[in-house]
Amino acid sequence: MSVGPELCSARVGGRPAFICDNIPSVDIVLSARGLVKEFKRAIAVDGVDIEVKAGERVALLGPNGAGKTTTLLMILGAISPDKGEVEICGVPQRRNRSHAAEHVGFAAGYLPLAGEMKVREYLTMFGQIYGIPDPSKAIAEGLERFRIQHLSEAKGTQLSSGQRTLVGIVRAVLHKPRLLVLDEPTASLDPDVAGRVRGGILDLCADNGTALLVTSHDMLEVERLCERVLFLSAGRVVADGAPSEIAERFGREDLEGVFLHLADENYQPSDSPTSQHTDHIL
Amino acid sequence: MLVRSPHRLFDVTLWPLVDVLMFGSLASFVGTGNASGGKQAAGYLLAGIILWHIVYQSQIAVSTGFLEETWSRNLLNLMITPIREIEYVGGVALFGMAKLVIGVGLMMIGGLVFFSFNITSLGFAVVPIAAVLLLVGWAISLFVIGVVLRYGPGAEALAWGVMFVVLPLSGVFYPIDALPAAVRPIAFALPTTYAFAALRGVVDGEALNWAYVGISAGGALVLSLLAFWYLVSMLKLFRRRGYVTRYA
Repeated sequence: MSVGPELCSARVGGRPAFICDNIPSVDIVLSARGLVKEFKRAIAVDGVDIEVKAGERVALLGPNGAGKTTTLLMILGAISPDKGEVEICGVPQRRNRSHAAEHVGFAAGYLPLAGEMKVREYLTMFGQIYGIPDPSKAIAEGLERFRIQHLSEAKGTQLSSGQRTLVGIVRAVLHKPRLLVLDEPTASLDPDVAGRVRGGILDLCADNGTALLVTSHDMLEVERLCERVLFLSAGRVVADGAPSEIAERFGREDLEGVFLHLADENYQPSDSPTSQHTDHIL
Repeated sequence: MLVRSPHRLFDVTLWPLVDVLMFGSLASFVGTGNASGGKQAAGYLLAGIILWHIVYQSQIAVSTGFLEETWSRNLLNLMITPIREIEYVGGVALFGMAKLVIGVGLMMIGGLVFFSFNITSLGFAVVPIAAVLLLVGWAISLFVIGVVLRYGPGAEALAWGVMFVVLPLSGVFYPIDALPAAVRPIAFALPTTYAFAALRGVVDGEALNWAYVGISAGGALVLSLLAFWYLVSMLKLFRRRGYVTRYA
């Protein structure tokens, strides 16, 4: 089942009054098919297919330069693919980026906050951008979920990097997106804050049926957070399945072993035990 | 934003007042005595600088509005939201309009208080000229944003620099006959040239030259369409080449 723009009825300024309340459940929240991206010196992404179901928690893994962030940016519409299509909740990214973006939340440690705005003001602004007329309730819920209510009146410049990451995640989930995309959400966080992030995300996915697509270099975190893993190497999906199944398929003890194997300079995507059929093969 | 970053108010308060003080003093100097040429030049200077600020402020407001997103590395944040590009530019332009009203309003008051020059005495003839200049300012800003999208942060000096090229070539303070013959063809191609020629006619007490206003309006429209096309092309290129990673 796909969701079209016509299903969003109540609209504010051309946008849904509160996006997710108007969207019926969908089976597939993300469908990326045949994504290819070539930059001047290299092919960054080479025919990636990703499908994420409603409520599914998926990790996109791979060594540096494997094409993870480029893939995410194509899914988000910030980079246009040379080939391939992205659909978010059935909405084609290429033809209707604005509407597709309504269903997605994105957070990454490298995204800035507005330094001179208070956290509450910043979140209010983003809530309104996503069509929430009065986001105060969603802000209170988000801050409480990640246990940072006390930061509500702090300015961006007064926050630590971990606190900024938490506020960024709250911003990303204000509009209850169908798909939450996180690029290394716990990088540079201490174990306590990282645990809080994981707990908050798991609760959110359970409460709202939000699907998760996350990149991380912390394999332990991935095993705790995600039920499915896609490994990228040299721009291709070389493995797709449950963490334990992938480790077994590659003959390694755990995901970290698989990661180190894929990061080996001598590794070629064609060596993958799953390289001939990468869509839901395991 | 303006309240928490008071230095941002300089663009709409201090610099316009400095300009009116400088050009007003120059006008007082050249207008000393009874020589009609001097009084005429004084009128050109004060009316010219006030109307020039419409082009300048509208251009700078939109350009720097965008540049602030690049300086704060906020572009990716914006690009992943449902905001459409046209909505973003429209919002920045509206915010710029508010700043423009403050800046030009202060210049009008400054001209009146310090030099007894009342631009409203020129009547409604100034309104269509101001509208054309506003459109030209926005068109230049779209072009500047397109260049920054294409060439990156190194090109941002253009946001200010381009205005210092347009200013003398538009004959803001003098008829373009005063320009060297070699650069006059460029001046003739600028819509601002005709707008300021029409303004000088009004300052001289003549009726508004609608032919000049029509030419400048047509030119401003063509310039706007070209700038819009250029911006859209550069935005597509920006997405295609993944230039957003420059700012993330």
